[in-house]
Amino acid sequence: MNQLIIVIATIVLAPIAGGLLFGIDRRITARLQGRFGPPILQPFYDFFKLMGKESIAVSKMQFVWIYAYLVLMIASLLCLVLQSDFLVLVFLLGFAGVSLVLGGFSTKSPYSHFGANRELLQILAYEPVLLLLAIAIYAQNGTFLISMIVSNQQPLLLSLWPLFIAVLYVLTIKMRKSPFDISTSHHAHQEIVKGITTEYSGPFLALYELAEWYEIVLVLGVIVLFWANPLWIGLLIAFAAFLLELVVDNITARMTARWMVRLSWSVGLILGILNIAYLYIMKGVF
Amino acid sequence: MTDGMMAIAILLPVVAGFLILAIRNYFARGVVVVLTAIVLIANSILFAAKGPLTYTPPAGFDWGTLITVLDYAILVLYLVLGLKLRNRLVLIFAATQIIPIAYFEFVMKAHMDLRPAFVVDHLAIVMTLIISIIGSLICIYAIRYMRDHEQHAHVDKSRQSRFLFWLVLFLGAMNGLVFANNLFWLYFFWEVTTLCSFMLIAHDKTQIALENAARALWMNSTGGTAFILAIIYLYTTQGGASALSVQNIIGGGMHSAAMILPVALLCFTGCTKAAQMPFQSWLLGAMVAPTPVSALLHSSTMVKAGVYLVLRLAPAYAGTLVSTAIAIVGAFTFFGSSALAISQTTGKRVLAYSTIANLGLIIACAGINTPLSIAAAILLIIFHAISKGMLFLCAGTIEHQIWSREIEDMEGLAAKAPLVTLITAVGMLSMFLPPFGMVLGKWIALEAAYKVPLAAVFFVLASALTIVFWTKWLGRLLQVVPKLGWPLEKLSPSYSVPLWTLFIGIFVVGFGIGPIYNYFIASATSDVIAGNSMIGSGWANIVLTGSSAVQTGAAVLGSFPVWALYMVLGVALFLPMLFFGLKPTQLRQVYLCGEQTGGTDTDEWCAECDIKTKFILGGYYFQATLGEKALNPWLNTVAILLLAIMIACGVISK
Repeated sequence: MNQLIIVIATIVLAPIAGGLLFGIDRRITARLQGRFGPPILQPFYDFFKLMGKESIAVSKMQFVWIYAYLVLMIASLLCLVLQSDFLVLVFLLGFAGVSLVLGGFSTKSPYSHFGANRELLQILAYEPVLLLLAIAIYAQNGTFLISMIVSNQQPLLLSLWPLFIAVLYVLTIKMRKSPFDISTSHHAHQEIVKGITTEYSGPFLALYELAEWYEIVLVLGVIVLFWANPLWIGLLIAFAAFLLELVVDNITARMTARWMVRLSWSVGLILGILNIAYLYIMKGVF
Repeated sequence: MTDGMMAIAILLPVVAGFLILAIRNYFARGVVVVLTAIVLIANSILFAAKGPLTYTPPAGFDWGTLITVLDYAILVLYLVLGLKLRNRLVLIFAATQIIPIAYFEFVMKAHMDLRPAFVVDHLAIVMTLIISIIGSLICIYAIRYMRDHEQHAHVDKSRQSRFLFWLVLFLGAMNGLVFANNLFWLYFFWEVTTLCSFMLIAHDKTQIALENAARALWMNSTGGTAFILAIIYLYTTQGGASALSVQNIIGGGMHSAAMILPVALLCFTGCTKAAQMPFQSWLLGAMVAPTPVSALLHSSTMVKAGVYLVLRLAPAYAGTLVSTAIAIVGAFTFFGSSALAISQTTGKRVLAYSTIANLGLIIACAGINTPLSIAAAILLIIFHAISKGMLFLCAGTIEHQIWSREIEDMEGLAAKAPLVTLITAVGMLSMFLPPFGMVLGKWIALEAAYKVPLAAVFFVLASALTIVFWTKWLGRLLQVVPKLGWPLEKLSPSYSVPLWTLFIGIFVVGFGIGPIYNYFIASATSDVIAGNSMIGSGWANIVLTGSSAVQTGAAVLGSFPVWALYMVLGVALFLPMLFFGLKPTQLRQVYLCGEQTGGTDTDEWCAECDIKTKFILGGYYFQATLGEKALNPWLNTVAILLLAIMIACGVISK
């Protein structure tokens, strides 16, 4: 019963938090660019406007994949709040990403295909970092269960700070912020056409926006895990990371997908592997 | 009763094979294949119902001599083939087998009478179920496939009987291989599978088919050579025929330090047959054969014999450096093949690399060598056999619909052949996404990999690469242009029965993971690892109540809510597919910057000078960075080093 309340609360509250975060994002970004910016609630106005539009699509499968993206994202978030296995969370997040890519591939549209191919490279860039994080969590706690991270008095950040740096750029990729807004961008100046979301419109685009809100809560939630006890420090760290992303977004330009994969597979993986090696040596496994 | 069951499992395919060879009529031959398949399936279920048993053939006939004679016959045939194909490597590695055997037999005067000759334990039962059920389905599929194949190729003289003969014979040899307790008999069945695969790969008799068959032959013969050396070493150092009993080797009844080297050699043999790097090229070359061959080699026979041997011997090298080395050899192959798969433009080659990768994962699990990882290995063998068998049958069916194996030619297949596309798509999803079995196995493997962190890192990298190559292909397959309708294609029952059976199998086995774990895998794991007390309680109990949790000792490693994940899949994908449809009036053309011609073809646009042009979309393949030319030298060098290290670990342990 208690779990049911958590599930319902998450499904209801997460998009509100996510939408507000996007509202703050747009406001701060506008100020950084010397504009006034929209009201904080603008993402919600946009969402309801899109919901009210005529539902048109370019392919019959488009709806299925974008809906699957939303459902799997929610399932992945539920894994986090129900404090189950971290690996399952990563697998579900991967499935969500695959759904979005397949949605992009499901039409014969050049722009949508560009976006889908690039989104696939984004998955290739962040997936190993998250899986390495899972292994590091195991090396630290002796379990893959999130509940053990939450109950552990020793915060992960102290021993997992190299992986924390790697997770910060996973946050950039997942928030679709420069320099990693490769598959689709929030900024008109970066983008000719809207990348993977080009062929979505009306209520289907609204579903995509909704999924993005869940996604940002999920990724920030993963960052909270680095200092889950007491929770408020973790929340502060996550909010600071969010603000950092906004600054990075506005001082950098979009880079190529190839550069992103190279960076992630060199710097990110080395950070992760060294981190895990250190944990194992400290535990005397070798 | 046991006499009959063993005879059906091993000898019936031989008898049926010769019968098929004699029959020239298409329908009569088909009936014999189907009947053989039904009897084999029923027999394997009988084995499962009866449980473990040991068996020695009745004394009246000298089976040992027959097997020795047949051994020589096969090796002499290799010599002849080597001369006929003018292939020096085939000749050399046939000689390196026949000379040690002759020395062993005539100079050392070895006697190899061993009781029991066959031990059918839980692991063997799992294997025989896979071989008999999936292998038989592939034989049924081949009946019609080979007719279509020959009609398309316009051959003068039908060679379908010959093809089906080797296909059916293969199943008997595999059953013998997994049941055999006498290492020398195991070697014989091992050589029969090598011979069968040579004949099947060479079936089309084109230049490239003969070349690739020869490569398969010599590469597997290097494994055979290591096998025979291991037998001689065991016999001399451990003293007598009892050293050749598989159960004795894994039971720990022998002087252990001297046993590590022969066991490492046997693992090397397993790696050659399982096409681990650097031996992957024989399995890729085997792709030239008709598709049922690939389906059979990849799912239920041949390569599974390789992983079976490594897995079977796991207790013999547990806790040694060899074990860690095997874990890293397998994990490296998992990583390397997954990277190579991205650059492949041919569907069957992607499937082949994916097989090599997953076999690497299974071998790595055997090398990690904890009850948990062994359970993961057995789970992966089962799920991989079902999914990959089905995917190859799909690839064959697609090939016979569009007469191409190229991924780019499969664009928009969802509109041309919706049923096959559906089955293929589910097969692909089941290879790399939750809640299907392969991910379950991969998840357990990752959680078990904490013991060998280097292997865990390779697992992580390979998992990410796996997502890329499958999604890329799925994307081409599922692309739909709105104007097309959905006529369902018609398939011959010889195609559709195996396809739908395996399709249902994926869900039944995936959904019923709890009971299957309790009835088969828990006991099979305890057959592999003696004294396994850790896994029994934690995993099995929680599986039944709806989720599975991995438990070692007292601490829970993690949990995987299987039923909940199936619910998520249902809500995410199947509900909208079933209950949501767009009206034709809701469909629009794609965005082309307003340059569309406005005709019925949505992919036509006005290029420069207003010339009407159709645009073509293609996937990314990264052949410059991830192609075989770029990666193979590096990967093969590292793989050879790793295998050398594995053998060296065996030498040091002595």
